[in-house]
Amino acid sequence: MEQAGYFSVSGAHLYTVLHAVPNPIARVLLVGPFASQRHSGYIPWVRWARYLATRQIECLRYDYRGVGESTGNFADMSFGTWSEDVQILACWLKTRSPGVPLMLHGLDMGALFAAQNFQVGIGDALLLWAPPASANESLRTTIARQIGLEKLFRYVGAKQRQASDYIRQLNDGLLIEIDGYEWSSRLWHDSFDLHLPPGIGDESGDTLASERPVRIVWPENAAPLIKGSSVAYDTINKDFTQLFSQNYDWLSMVTATLIGQHS
Amino acid sequence: MKEVIETRELITVTFRGMVLRGTYHRPYGLSTGSGLDLNEPSAIGVLLVNAGFLPRSGLGDSAVYWADSFAACGYPSFRIDLQGLGDSDGEPPADLSDFVNSGGFAPELAAIVKDIVRRFGLSGVAVVAHCASTVSAIFAAALIRECKGLALLDPYFHLSQGGSKLRAGLSDWAWRSRLGGSISTVYHWLKHVHLFLRWRKPPSNANLPLLRRWKQLGSSGLPILVMKAPALKARGSQPRLGEFDYLNYVQARSGRASRIVVKYIEGTNHSFADRLGRIAVRQHTERWLRSCFPLMERQASALNPPRSEHSGFKNHTENHEMRSHHSNTAR
Repeated sequence: MEQAGYFSVSGAHLYTVLHAVPNPIARVLLVGPFASQRHSGYIPWVRWARYLATRQIECLRYDYRGVGESTGNFADMSFGTWSEDVQILACWLKTRSPGVPLMLHGLDMGALFAAQNFQVGIGDALLLWAPPASANESLRTTIARQIGLEKLFRYVGAKQRQASDYIRQLNDGLLIEIDGYEWSSRLWHDSFDLHLPPGIGDESGDTLASERPVRIVWPENAAPLIKGSSVAYDTINKDFTQLFSQNYDWLSMVTATLIGQHS
Repeated sequence: MKEVIETRELITVTFRGMVLRGTYHRPYGLSTGSGLDLNEPSAIGVLLVNAGFLPRSGLGDSAVYWADSFAACGYPSFRIDLQGLGDSDGEPPADLSDFVNSGGFAPELAAIVKDIVRRFGLSGVAVVAHCASTVSAIFAAALIRECKGLALLDPYFHLSQGGSKLRAGLSDWAWRSRLGGSISTVYHWLKHVHLFLRWRKPPSNANLPLLRRWKQLGSSGLPILVMKAPALKARGSQPRLGEFDYLNYVQARSGRASRIVVKYIEGTNHSFADRLGRIAVRQHTERWLRSCFPLMERQASALNPPRSEHSGFKNHTENHEMRSHHSNTAR
């Protein structure tokens, strides 16, 4: 059963969809792609939540403050605000039944927020898809994609901007507009400080951080969820069976181990 | 978790056993109990339809911004994900483009319109649609009386050309290389000559069933607002060299009773999600709504002044200078 609702946080309402499951074996907080990537990855992200829910793993997905169906002004938000969203929702999800393992699963920029919260002790396991090395790397990729789209849709007389034009504006303290979102200079400067935490992402494959399981799926495997544009119909019906089944296998293996440890 | 916040409410519509999820933006004044009555006979709702495969918030959350704005003007506004899109049940059609172009979403969209008209006591709904969803909106409007108007952003009237790899490869080459670009220019000149020789007949890939529905709607006097962004490699409001001018064609064939207004929005792009585009769309649509579906005096006086938040663009809504101009008003 899918329950959409608003979750009150300071100054805003987070839009959430709970893929509720009776007697779940585990719970997963899905920390999705960032603002500009949200629309192109939405359908496979929902499909993944449904895939897990039919296998008795309860999921909560949501929109960041100021993005999508959540309220708030995007330009007023910060990486700190969005990381706090993860913390609040993870705690809420955990309280639904504290004995059930809670996993954090982040995609793209969401992987950084999930990892950041995991490092401070939230969650029993961490799954990351296509994590960027830093938030700045993700923002730069988004700017490059915007330039590609501008070139694609250029009409006669339109000015073709370069990445350096956008970055200069940000460095000059101006707002820029990317895919309908206003990026502040503060957002850009803060993005240099948000990295995968030390100890997470140093190794490929499955590993442990603070004795808790971590799995990282690097971009070449998970990227189809976050690539694409508003003109790319082919992103919506891609076959993700392999990606989904492999990651479900890992989640169920981790769940069995965690339940074994608790008992 | 709440399903209702101050100005929004999460709603569902059931279609053929599938749950479609959406958001209702309450008209301003309603939540404060200041007297706006949705049961007034003139109450017209606004339904925004998914653009292509996008979730109901639209690119850059532009649809949220528009729905909030229309609600602030007193029009109850709705955004509902179609089957397989956004949060709604189901899977997207295997070939979404063909499905849309053949009117595949029309029965569903018509059912949604009828449902919200009944549940919210409206006299009808104006449908706001963008790109591929304009096709669904035109097909749906021809099916039901409850659709009282259409606001269409960059509508198109042709079928997809078929996605052969050779064609895609050539197109990509023409886009990236100088020689390819020159050959592309010659190709479009030849297309232009071909179109000229056909003397205003639509090309072979025209979506004829869609054109018939348009003619039916236009000649019935359904208010239609068309908003157009500058087209790829085009100059001004005209289509690209070698491309058929469908808007001119359909306007000319809509009959004397037609109420079609075309607005060209200079400086935006096909997404209309940039600041200039979203403000221009809001302003044109609000004027059109007020002109075609005026609020009862009592409803209008019940409205509060617009609030500050506009979903991410709260600081530059009212005073932004717009460079759009009125290109054509048919009859």
